[in-house]
Amino acid sequence: MKIFISILFLILVTSASEQKYAIKAQILEKVFANISIGKDFIIWSDNKELLFELKKSKNFTTSINCENATMIILEDKKNLEKNCINKPIFVLEYNLLSEVSQSFGAIFWKKGRPNIIILSPRAKKLSIDISQKLNEYVEEKVW
Amino acid sequence: MVKRKEIFIFLLLLILSIFFIYVYNEIKTTKKDIYARIEAHQIEQTSAVIKNIQNEFISFLNLKNSNDLRQAFSDNKNREKYEHIISLMLSSNIKYAYILYKDDRDKFRFILDASKIDKANFYQKFDVNETEYINIYTTKKPQIIKQKEIENLYITVLHPIIVDNEVIGIFSVDMTSDIQKTILKSIKPLETFFIILIIFILLLMIMTIMQIFHYFITRRKIFTDSLTRTFNRNYLEDMSSILNLTHYSLAMLDLDKFKMINDTYGHKGGDYILFAASKVFKNSIRDSDILVRYGGEEFLLLINNRGANESTLDICKRLKNSISKERFFYDGHEIKMTVSIGLHKHPYLEKNLQEAIKKADEVLYLAKRNGRNRIEIYDEKIANESSFSSKNISFVKEALDEDRVVCYYQPIYDYNSGEIYKYEALVRIVAKDNTIVGPYEFLPQIKNTNIHYKLTQRILHVVFEEIKRSKKDISVNINFSDLANKDIEESIVKHLKSNPDLASKVTFEILESSEVDDAKLFKEKTNLIHALGAKVSIDDFGSGYSNFKTIIDIEANYLKIDGSLIKNIDVNIKDYKVVKSIIHFAAQSNMKTIAEFVHSKEVFDKLVELNVDYMQGFYISTPKATLIEKEELFR
Repeated sequence: MKIFISILFLILVTSASEQKYAIKAQILEKVFANISIGKDFIIWSDNKELLFELKKSKNFTTSINCENATMIILEDKKNLEKNCINKPIFVLEYNLLSEVSQSFGAIFWKKGRPNIIILSPRAKKLSIDISQKLNEYVEEKVW
Repeated sequence: MVKRKEIFIFLLLLILSIFFIYVYNEIKTTKKDIYARIEAHQIEQTSAVIKNIQNEFISFLNLKNSNDLRQAFSDNKNREKYEHIISLMLSSNIKYAYILYKDDRDKFRFILDASKIDKANFYQKFDVNETEYINIYTTKKPQIIKQKEIENLYITVLHPIIVDNEVIGIFSVDMTSDIQKTILKSIKPLETFFIILIIFILLLMIMTIMQIFHYFITRRKIFTDSLTRTFNRNYLEDMSSILNLTHYSLAMLDLDKFKMINDTYGHKGGDYILFAASKVFKNSIRDSDILVRYGGEEFLLLINNRGANESTLDICKRLKNSISKERFFYDGHEIKMTVSIGLHKHPYLEKNLQEAIKKADEVLYLAKRNGRNRIEIYDEKIANESSFSSKNISFVKEALDEDRVVCYYQPIYDYNSGEIYKYEALVRIVAKDNTIVGPYEFLPQIKNTNIHYKLTQRILHVVFEEIKRSKKDISVNINFSDLANKDIEESIVKHLKSNPDLASKVTFEILESSEVDDAKLFKEKTNLIHALGAKVSIDDFGSGYSNFKTIIDIEANYLKIDGSLIKNIDVNIKDYKVVKSIIHFAAQSNMKTIAEFVHSKEVFDKLVELNVDYMQGFYISTPKATLIEKEELFR
């Protein structure tokens, strides 16, 4: 519940667009704190602003290339390198969930409101454990 | 007057600023009201359209429950048809229009999305947080969400899709704030105008406050004596018109032998004593009393007599005792001070404050003359018997303080040698407009006042300095009463004893009048002058109550024959005879004669004929600001 309230709080303060990446980073931090990928989080993102914000987190490290990363946050499909295609991917667009089969979750803005989706079958396939605290964001498939 | 004007302007600005703030606030309120009206109108219109559309699809699609809703719009054809219909209501103000469905896990999902941008997929999850989404299922009434946190969204209208009294879905419309922005944009110049106006008025108010503040600071500076921190004469002049003298008694205070302090310890010492003494004065009076430094070592005290437990005389006594008990220390020396006080208990009986001050000053003079360190009280009965001129004595006091007392010098001519024998110093005051004011305009007004002997002291100082500078002989006029004054006597003794050369060049012209009533004292004083090496001249001889015995007794060096006897000597045989007798009497008594008022050649010739020793008058030379040479005579 605490997680939900924290995410809710972050969602409520999304008004400032210039802080959008900071808020995205904070939401991702909350989400990642409640999932387990079996190893340490080393994050790479094709969105440099977001990566910069994530770098500030004490809970995980960031990488400047996707090879060393254990988690990829993807904004544009074209930026996904072949040798990283099998790594867990969190996308920043809803449509990318359909386009990138390795993606197991998404954070995006829908009609001005932040939305989170975590696909449980894909997470399972990638041996990612999802905490029950994220249940309300869990979906079985992409619609 | 300035203060009143400034305060009036300040109040006017304050009222104006309140008015403009009120108008500005009204504009803001009106703006909010317009917003509210537009909002209500928009909601009403949107709700009506939504209602019509949903009625249409409920009946057309034969919806019975939420599953029917989901099933109906899972069909692409139905969805496309109704998305098209609903999209007709989209405009610049209506950004999104969509239908939400709540699944069995209470997640909201898009069943239909007619939005042109940011379109959601069928059955896509929609994370919403507002309680209105939940409330609509219980209240079954439309809900309005004011979107403060969501960018570009103003309000969201949630309309329940009700079938058989059950909410089966939510028709949601998101509106933008475009109209509000337009209104704000059109009102903005008006708002800006009022803001600028209010800022301008506030600035004016600040400037006015600063001016008032500056006025009070300046007023404080102008009205406060920088040394003693008491009020000064400016204050007295300013408040004299509003001062109710019936509430006050008036005392003039003068520190005794203050000149000696200045001479002994220098001006710094004198300033210190003035500062310390004024502190003693301030500690001895009450808050309701007004202490004014009137000039030099002289203070004026207005003693408030309303509801006073002690008499004004008691306060004066306390002042006198406080000063005499106080031990002043300067430069390692203990200095004892006393104060003389002239008290006028009922100043309101006088015509004005100046007149009251003059009366108090007269009794102060008495206190000085009667031995100092004492209080003399003005007696109205005695005063009524004598008439005093009411001319302002502060004219002389100011001139003394501002060093505007000067001497003009008229040559005394020696006919036999053709040389200037000596000069007579004649007092003048340089008025503030630089005009030269003669003694007849101010001497009668200060007669028998403390200021008179201060003026005499100043004249003596000026003349002594001129003799030291020029090395010429100069006569100076002095009243017998001034000569009897201890301070003046001390000053003369001090200067002449230490400087015999100076003494040999000074002649004291003592007015021969009824004032010389104490022949013994008169002789005593002239003997002192002789002993110091200075000369004595009897002024205006022949005009008053000439006492030949007294004149012979005092052994004066010169007899100055009164001008009233000289001016008509060429035409009046009686005057001629009197002058002839005086010259004979002087010669017999070993005194030289001086004829004044020699205004014409005829008078001059008659005096030559009578063999008078020396002459002075306009025919020979008018008084000049400097000591002239013989070449400048008879012009």
